[in-house]
Amino acid sequence: MSNSILKIENLQAKIGDKQILKGLNLELEPGKVHAIMGPNGAGKSTLSKALVGHYDVELTGGDIIYKGKNINEMEPEERALEGIFLSFQHPVEIPGVNNAYFLRTALNAKRKHEGKEALNAAEFLRLMRDHLEMLGMKSDMISRSLNEGFSGGEKKRNEILQMLILEPEVIILDEIDSGLDIDALRAVSEGINKMKDGKRSFLVITHYSRILDYIEPDYIHVLKDGKVIKTAGPELVAQLEEHGYDAIEEE
Amino acid sequence: MNLLALKNKNLQEVNALLGTKDRDILVERFCALGLPSKKSEEYRYFDVEKLLEPEYKTLNYVPKTPKTSDKVEIVDGVVVAIPKGMRVYNEACQMIDMDHFDPLYYLGHLLSPQTIKIELDGDVEVEIEHKFTQSDALINYRIVLYNQANRHATVYENFISDDIENTLVLYGYDMHLAQDSTLRVVKMQSMQDAGYGMVASHKVNVAKNANAILKSFDLGGDQALQLLKVELAEHAHVDDGHLLYLNEDSKRGTVSQIVHVGEHSTSKQEAKNILDGKSRGIFDALIRVEHSAKYTKAEQNSKAILLHEDAYMAAKPQLEIYIDELEASHGATTGQLDRKQLFYLQSRGISYTEARKMLVIAFANTLIEEVKDTRHQERIKTAFEKVFYKNHKD
Repeated sequence: MSNSILKIENLQAKIGDKQILKGLNLELEPGKVHAIMGPNGAGKSTLSKALVGHYDVELTGGDIIYKGKNINEMEPEERALEGIFLSFQHPVEIPGVNNAYFLRTALNAKRKHEGKEALNAAEFLRLMRDHLEMLGMKSDMISRSLNEGFSGGEKKRNEILQMLILEPEVIILDEIDSGLDIDALRAVSEGINKMKDGKRSFLVITHYSRILDYIEPDYIHVLKDGKVIKTAGPELVAQLEEHGYDAIEEE
Repeated sequence: MNLLALKNKNLQEVNALLGTKDRDILVERFCALGLPSKKSEEYRYFDVEKLLEPEYKTLNYVPKTPKTSDKVEIVDGVVVAIPKGMRVYNEACQMIDMDHFDPLYYLGHLLSPQTIKIELDGDVEVEIEHKFTQSDALINYRIVLYNQANRHATVYENFISDDIENTLVLYGYDMHLAQDSTLRVVKMQSMQDAGYGMVASHKVNVAKNANAILKSFDLGGDQALQLLKVELAEHAHVDDGHLLYLNEDSKRGTVSQIVHVGEHSTSKQEAKNILDGKSRGIFDALIRVEHSAKYTKAEQNSKAILLHEDAYMAAKPQLEIYIDELEASHGATTGQLDRKQLFYLQSRGISYTEARKMLVIAFANTLIEEVKDTRHQERIKTAFEKVFYKNHKD
């Protein structure tokens, strides 16, 4: 994969004193959907945190190369402005921060970074309303505090709403399907599929294959004990369903 | 005038120093409480001696014929403008509290035998602007606010100063809310090298079924303390909220006593404090429920966020209860900005500074949004941002 948008080389990372990632290698191709599957404790969420510069994660070795540039030391907001987006497994509630105000601030920060004019409140609301409808979200989400009192499904839809508005280039979805009923899963998947344009890359982190029925992956990577131990096509999902992670041998 | 000269003086000596006569009851109260110092309980966290120490020039408070304006304008303790039709005049205060906890309440009355009386007749909304123009001066004045029965008034208070230095302002209200009335007072004081320090000592009487809503927004730097005593009659209510956002080496805050006297009286007191730099926030608040105040409901809460390791919050919520038939709660927390929330905002491309500002405003917002008038709400938010950006730059 020489034309990768994101290249992770021999990545080692720890949280606290515990070494979680132990020489992880992974390349994301532009326009492709990469699914990361693995047992509990394999390091899936640590990988997603490492990619967005989470304060919990300390990199102890290796490189994260995004668009040919090492981003190991880059601040979280710079990574976001450059186009890396993480949909959180458990989005945090922020009482007092209005959802629309937050998202407009984020969008205008990105537009400024790209040398574009800021959107005014009316322009932004129009944009937001179109996406809300598509995601089956109520219009009062605009005025509510960010994620405050949202159900699990509403939080995940709100993550996808942010993704649609911010139009990132590398999209990391950490357990996006957890806690979703069928309708919410369908709406969220529809939002994700809408973002597929042949250029954006997706890294779908999941325990279960359910979400992969809706978002067709191009590659499946199995993560075990802090390393990617196998990469294959979508056919690997059936094998994992049948035999579990224990049956997978390191390549 | 040197206020420290009043320290440990007896009635005759105080009368001689202040030139007062026929006001012995007030002088006695002042002498009994004593000139405040670091040892005084109510000034324990505030450096009052530093403000009392300098030699101040005294001013002549000659009443002027006020011009017509859209607000009440008070310049160096003298009313210079009032809205058309509003009754504002000078008279001796008829309702001085003889059991106030603050000695400077009495000193203020002794120095200002003629108070500015503002009658709120009708459902009015009035803005009071305090302006200070004199350096090295002791500016002392007191205001009587009288809200008529069954009336619902709102007062917005604002403070400005010229390019002055080393001035001390001693001012305060004696408010009276007549039966079945509502008075909403929103004070906004943004100080940053304002050139004056302030001690504001208030007394609020809330009559039967009356409703006092007192909100203060104290922003920026410098030294200022408000001391507030509220007395609640039967079925009276006070909703008291304080927002403090300090920077540099500012020391500001509230010392209060809410006294439930009548049955079924209710009080809600909330303080939100955001402290940056080496500032010190003060919330030293007592709710006292008298024997006569059965079925009282009282709640008191202080929350503080420290934005800097050198910032300090002195929070002292207290309940003093003499009956069993009541509901009361109090509490205080001090912490920092939530790291998870901060990261979430940053992960969407919002800068560290902007993310902090959003969280700080979010913390303050519940109090700011209680200001019903959006123009004043915006004014507070703008002042808030100005203070924030003084200390935080990308």
